[in-house]
Amino acid sequence: MSAYDEVEIEDMEWNAELGAYTYPCPCGDLFQITLADLRLGEEIARCPSCSLFLTVVYNAEDFADAKEPQKPSPRPVAVA
Amino acid sequence: MEKATIPAAAAAAAAAKEEQEEEDTVWAWSWGAGTDGQLGNGGFQDHHLPQPLLFPPRCRGRVSFVAGGGAHAIALTSDGEVFTWGRGTHGQLGHGDVENIPHPKFVKFIENYTITCVSAGWNHSGFATDSGQLFMCGDGSFGQLGAGDNHPRNLPFEVAHFTTKHVEKLAFGMRHSLVLLKDNSVYGFGSARRGQIGRCARNQRFYNVPRLIDGFPNCNIENIYANGDHSAALDESGQLYIWGRALIGEHDDDQPRPVFPSLSISQMALGWHHALVLSAGKLYTIGAYRHQKLDPLVLPSADPVQQLNPPTTNHNHDESSSLSTLVKVPCVDGEQVVHIAAGTEHSALVTDKATVFTWGWGEHGQLGLGDTCDKVAPQKVNLGNKRPCSSASCNVYCGSGFTVVVNFGSAAN
Repeated sequence: MSAYDEVEIEDMEWNAELGAYTYPCPCGDLFQITLADLRLGEEIARCPSCSLFLTVVYNAEDFADAKEPQKPSPRPVAVA
Repeated sequence: MEKATIPAAAAAAAAAKEEQEEEDTVWAWSWGAGTDGQLGNGGFQDHHLPQPLLFPPRCRGRVSFVAGGGAHAIALTSDGEVFTWGRGTHGQLGHGDVENIPHPKFVKFIENYTITCVSAGWNHSGFATDSGQLFMCGDGSFGQLGAGDNHPRNLPFEVAHFTTKHVEKLAFGMRHSLVLLKDNSVYGFGSARRGQIGRCARNQRFYNVPRLIDGFPNCNIENIYANGDHSAALDESGQLYIWGRALIGEHDDDQPRPVFPSLSISQMALGWHHALVLSAGKLYTIGAYRHQKLDPLVLPSADPVQQLNPPTTNHNHDESSSLSTLVKVPCVDGEQVVHIAAGTEHSALVTDKATVFTWGWGEHGQLGLGDTCDKVAPQKVNLGNKRPCSSASCNVYCGSGFTVVVNFGSAAN
């Protein structure tokens, strides 16, 4: 079986709760790849709900000792 | 012939029985992926066979449209009410919270408006009113709410950009939103990575303010479509325009491209890697189900692949628009396809005899055939024997991994 799709890491979203980068899976769940996976050079993001998986395109050097990304805190804008 | 007068008590009993039968009949169904409550059947699990969808009884015959998102759905009634259910993690259900809800729930916040169009993206929702206002809620990470920021909203808010304009139609993809105005202009906002909201400045990943999509020739746009990173529009002559991520080949297009000029297309539906087009009663597929990539679509009818758009030497863009091939979908003898729908990786159709067919990816039971098998050709779905016998027509709708069928009243369409 081949990968469902190929996605650049820039198009994945960091999910602090899951500790993983995620991308929508056609089943409705999320493809996931953890920071630990990326540090190890893993290229496959799996969906916990189905058999599909993604190939993640990234520069391994960028993740050699990467820390958890800071979430760009989407807080409601204060109303004046 | 003797015609006995029915005693009042017996008449009442008969009426009550009829009412009971009416209540027992099922007029809306769903099946497929259900772990976020997107089947609206009260539960949080997948179902491989049609389940009754729990609309309030007063909606019977009045549900005129259902928009399916990543794992939520929006139902619109013929008198402008809106119900939502399924995943609510980003506020996409519009109830002011982030709960998943396993049954259709009335969206109270917009009860004073008459809604005429709804759309659902992966995790966002939109509602257009009869006076042309646009309300949005849900995930805004990619600017897909058009709010000028990237924040989520759990209650519908009015998109300021359109307050002086008249919004008519909506079509939302995974991370982008398309809006058709009454003046015939098409706007896009959200993710711009694949050209899905038109031509953008280089390296601009998204726009959180609506922007005009230009590049259409002089034509009257009748409808707009979006799913995944794809966008499309259909004009009144039946000319289809597509842009965004390539359906075939590798080259995305950031401008609406007219495709298949020899076809007069009446309906289209977009998946994440395929599209359906209906033309003169014939149904075609563009692209292929991605999960079957190594297993090329082989159709039992062996209908020859038609190349309807001969290559020309001065076309410098890609094969997805100019060289695309259409594959004819084998349909049922003696029945006309009247309505089509596409999920991410599955497809559905309804015939003039109100028969529902599904095909494509089936891992979550989204084909409703009782198993998790994939199907290359349309298969008839058994909606059971609780169907109202008067059911003249029904429509089919798809979310990412689920399918919804709704019977509509004889007067509605």
